[in-house]
Amino acid sequence: MDMIPSRPPPAGQRGVQAWLRRNLFSGWVNTAVSLVVGYLVVVSTINLTRWVVTGASWEPVWTNLKLLAIYRYPMELAWRPVIAVGVFLMLTGLSAALGRRAGKGKIIGGLYAWLTGLVVVLTVIAWLAWPSVREAWTAATFMAAGGYLAGWFVPKLVRAQAWLWSAGLPVVLVLVYGLGGEGPWATVRTLEWGGFMLTIVIAVFGITVSFPLGIALALGRRSSLPAIKYFSIGFIELIRGAPLITWLFIASLMVPLLLDTSPDSIPALARALVAVTLFSAVYMAENVRGGLQSVPNGQREAARALGLSGWQTTRLIVLPQALRAVIPVLVGQAIGLFKDTSLVFIVGLHDFFEIGRRIIPSQPESLLYPGGVLLELSLFMAAVYWFFSYRMSIASRQLEKELGVGER
Amino acid sequence: MKQASGTPERIPFWRNVKTLGLLAQVIFTLVVLTAIVILWNNVASALARSSLPADFSWLTSRAGLPIGERPIPYTPDDPYWRALLIGFLNTLKIALVGVILASILGVLVGLARLSNNWLLRQIGTWYVEILRNTPLSVQIIFWFTAAIATLPPTISAPIRLPGGILFSNRGLAFPAIYPGFGFTAWLPWLLGAIILFAVILVMRRRQIRASERPGLAWPYALAGMLVVAASGYLVASQQATIPSTVAVDFVTERGRGVTFTDTNGNGERDRGESAYGHVPVTVTVPEAAIEARSSNLVEQRQVKPSVIRFPVIEEGEYDTFDIRILGESDRERFSIHWIDAPVSGVVFEDRNNDGVWQEGEELDAQGEGFQGVRTVLTVTGFQRDLVSDRDGAVRIPNFDPVGTQAENVEEIEDAGRSGAGGFGPSNLFGANAASDDEPSDAPTLDTVVDIRPSGALVWSPPSVPVSNYTGGFRFTASYLALLLALVIYTATFIAEITRAGIMAVPKGQTEAAKALGLSGRQTFSLVIFPQAVRIILPPMISQYLNLTKNSSLAPLAAYAEIFAISAVVANQTGASVPVTILIIVSYLIISWFFSVVLNIVNARMAIVER
Repeated sequence: MDMIPSRPPPAGQRGVQAWLRRNLFSGWVNTAVSLVVGYLVVVSTINLTRWVVTGASWEPVWTNLKLLAIYRYPMELAWRPVIAVGVFLMLTGLSAALGRRAGKGKIIGGLYAWLTGLVVVLTVIAWLAWPSVREAWTAATFMAAGGYLAGWFVPKLVRAQAWLWSAGLPVVLVLVYGLGGEGPWATVRTLEWGGFMLTIVIAVFGITVSFPLGIALALGRRSSLPAIKYFSIGFIELIRGAPLITWLFIASLMVPLLLDTSPDSIPALARALVAVTLFSAVYMAENVRGGLQSVPNGQREAARALGLSGWQTTRLIVLPQALRAVIPVLVGQAIGLFKDTSLVFIVGLHDFFEIGRRIIPSQPESLLYPGGVLLELSLFMAAVYWFFSYRMSIASRQLEKELGVGER
Repeated sequence: MKQASGTPERIPFWRNVKTLGLLAQVIFTLVVLTAIVILWNNVASALARSSLPADFSWLTSRAGLPIGERPIPYTPDDPYWRALLIGFLNTLKIALVGVILASILGVLVGLARLSNNWLLRQIGTWYVEILRNTPLSVQIIFWFTAAIATLPPTISAPIRLPGGILFSNRGLAFPAIYPGFGFTAWLPWLLGAIILFAVILVMRRRQIRASERPGLAWPYALAGMLVVAASGYLVASQQATIPSTVAVDFVTERGRGVTFTDTNGNGERDRGESAYGHVPVTVTVPEAAIEARSSNLVEQRQVKPSVIRFPVIEEGEYDTFDIRILGESDRERFSIHWIDAPVSGVVFEDRNNDGVWQEGEELDAQGEGFQGVRTVLTVTGFQRDLVSDRDGAVRIPNFDPVGTQAENVEEIEDAGRSGAGGFGPSNLFGANAASDDEPSDAPTLDTVVDIRPSGALVWSPPSVPVSNYTGGFRFTASYLALLLALVIYTATFIAEITRAGIMAVPKGQTEAAKALGLSGRQTFSLVIFPQAVRIILPPMISQYLNLTKNSSLAPLAAYAEIFAISAVVANQTGASVPVTILIIVSYLIISWFFSVVLNIVNARMAIVER
């Protein structure tokens, strides 16, 4: 008995024509919508492209890229933050390669490839236009490649991975802050920091420090000890009640009073970091609390039945499951924090946003442009923030898929 | 066996969980208290040293803060607490409108993302992906400084939208309806209408229930209410008279006046005589002039050379007008090309002598010491109907008396001949000026301000006296920019919530509805949406709270909400601690309000289980 081979679907249900009919022209209304919206999209895309290419004046952005990147950081020391980027990429490459060897780590691999691509583009631009950081960007590219190759060819490094990451942080710090004295390792005080570098510093510090703090607050909120529980609830609700910008403002007013020192003795960066970290920590706590609540009570009871202590149960059984459930949410929060760093202008810091908003438009050269330079600058800033946030949100979605959150 | 029922092994206190827990709490409390005491002492000594105010007594002293955006009457002479109250009201004003608009836009985008039209789906997706991943601060800056600030200026060139709406870089102004002189007479009728509505509604419902037939109660109630309200409106408007105490104090030279309650009847506004708002007036100026110099303007990111602008005077507001270039030599050299006579034009030098303006014939006003070309607009029979603002303000363009424009003696003699370079339907005016009084007598401006009668309500369209709006209802540029940014940003989150909520309704529901023969629209509105709302509302409310909190980015758009005003007050008074407390308390009240609403919604939305 012969099986009749299955036939392809009729011509009307496949191919470009069928797709078009199904998705764009499936009825009178749909056709009308497609035509009108399509016309508007085409016209606005053409106009926008024409404006971006010929109408807009991008010179204020191009000539001020140094300000936007590092603000007043000395130009002769600009190689140091670049090398810090290289160190970070080296470690990321190492982890990506080790992960790939182990058959996982697709997400970190994707991030690594994306960031390395960015660094390569910057290196090419540096060779074309920025002679002072040419070597530094080249070195960063090589460091990124070196990290990956090391991880790929020396699989034993997997054991040293955590140590290398922990060592990387102080190295980056030394590179950015300096060691003191004169010459290539001179200290660059935080007053001189600014631009995108400062944005990254605040975001990374805020996320890293608020993570343990947030877990502690979340555990505190679920504690059976009333004093700790109500303190945590009160703290979380108080900080969550008011927006970040008010906490930044309050920090700039109150930190000198609370420590009873003159306002000048505490750098603005420290005040901003206090506010950003505490603010991020309470939101982190609420997210982690959601994860803690998702862990079934049976897990805890089983752990206790096995003889684990209360602390061991939390550390080995409950927290790992809780954090796994909320990692995508935490990445979302990290994106939020990255965007929110733009509010530090309120304490007088010159982050990426503040430089585009106030420093560049008030330059004498910028005043010559009719109508100001803020349109181009705000679009450039939006594009940069978007570029990083969007990549992180893709990573968050991949994580969600990989961890299978909500699919059990 | 015996031991088990006897004395159990006593747990030593250092291993007793209860004791340890208590101990931990005591230690924790002590640490927290110590920290608080240390910090408190620090604050106290720092305050004592710097002698900054630590109490709230400054709240009643004069603020001296000018605030442009005020939902309740306010002057800089008012105390601080009133300034802060205005900030709080402004927060509510932007949050309320923002929440409504963001919900509409967000639900639309969410539905677009579920549409079966591929193009709409893509637009929805990219709207969310692009705008959600861009900081709100950047979006505010974009709307405020890059979009709205580059719109045409109010003076002479507002964009006219249908319905009398004006749009410019000063914001948006709509016509509005305000209570008129007959409003108090109308109030009892309104009250009666509302009572009638309730009565008819209840009676009709009872009737429907008794008849056991389907029927709607509200159309009858609404009809009854409208009949009473309308007849009351007619009666009240018929009877409305201009109150004898209302007067106008008009300063002709400045083109502004105040409508007020003239208690002592002397026609001048004395101390203690309060403003009488929303009074319809007609301002008549028999003959007047305005001077303007040509200058280079930046408009929509382009330099427009040698433009002259006069305040907006619309057709029908004047009998005749005439525009001349002042100065003999200038008049011979230059002419005016009208873009919108008699309001704006370009001064040009006719280099190819063809009598018309061509690109490039404008004057380059960059030259050293070049003040532009002086031009003067003279109008006769100017008459404008206005409605005074809430604080009684009436404004018309700053007219000058005719004849004060001449820069020298020749100019005055010259005024008689006029003609050359003149423009308009009539050149009569020049002749009038020449036959005027002796030059020694300073000419004066005769302005007549009449109060018009009004009914129960008064229709107040916006107008532009000089460079800002008057009358109507205004959204300032700051408000508009902040509102746009907040709405567009929050809508991305609401769109995602809507999409997730609708997708969370099981597919079986759609199929069951289809099987029952419901149409696509019925399926959505009767089956899917009611179930989706249950899922959508709680996260939606937390987005509303986010929008309200995000309105604290107002300083970026120079909008005076609670945080922006608090920041200024903290700088002015130095009262860091009290202001900090006030900021936190205001936002806690807002957060608390939203959590109450959320709890009510959750209770209502909970599936009633049997």
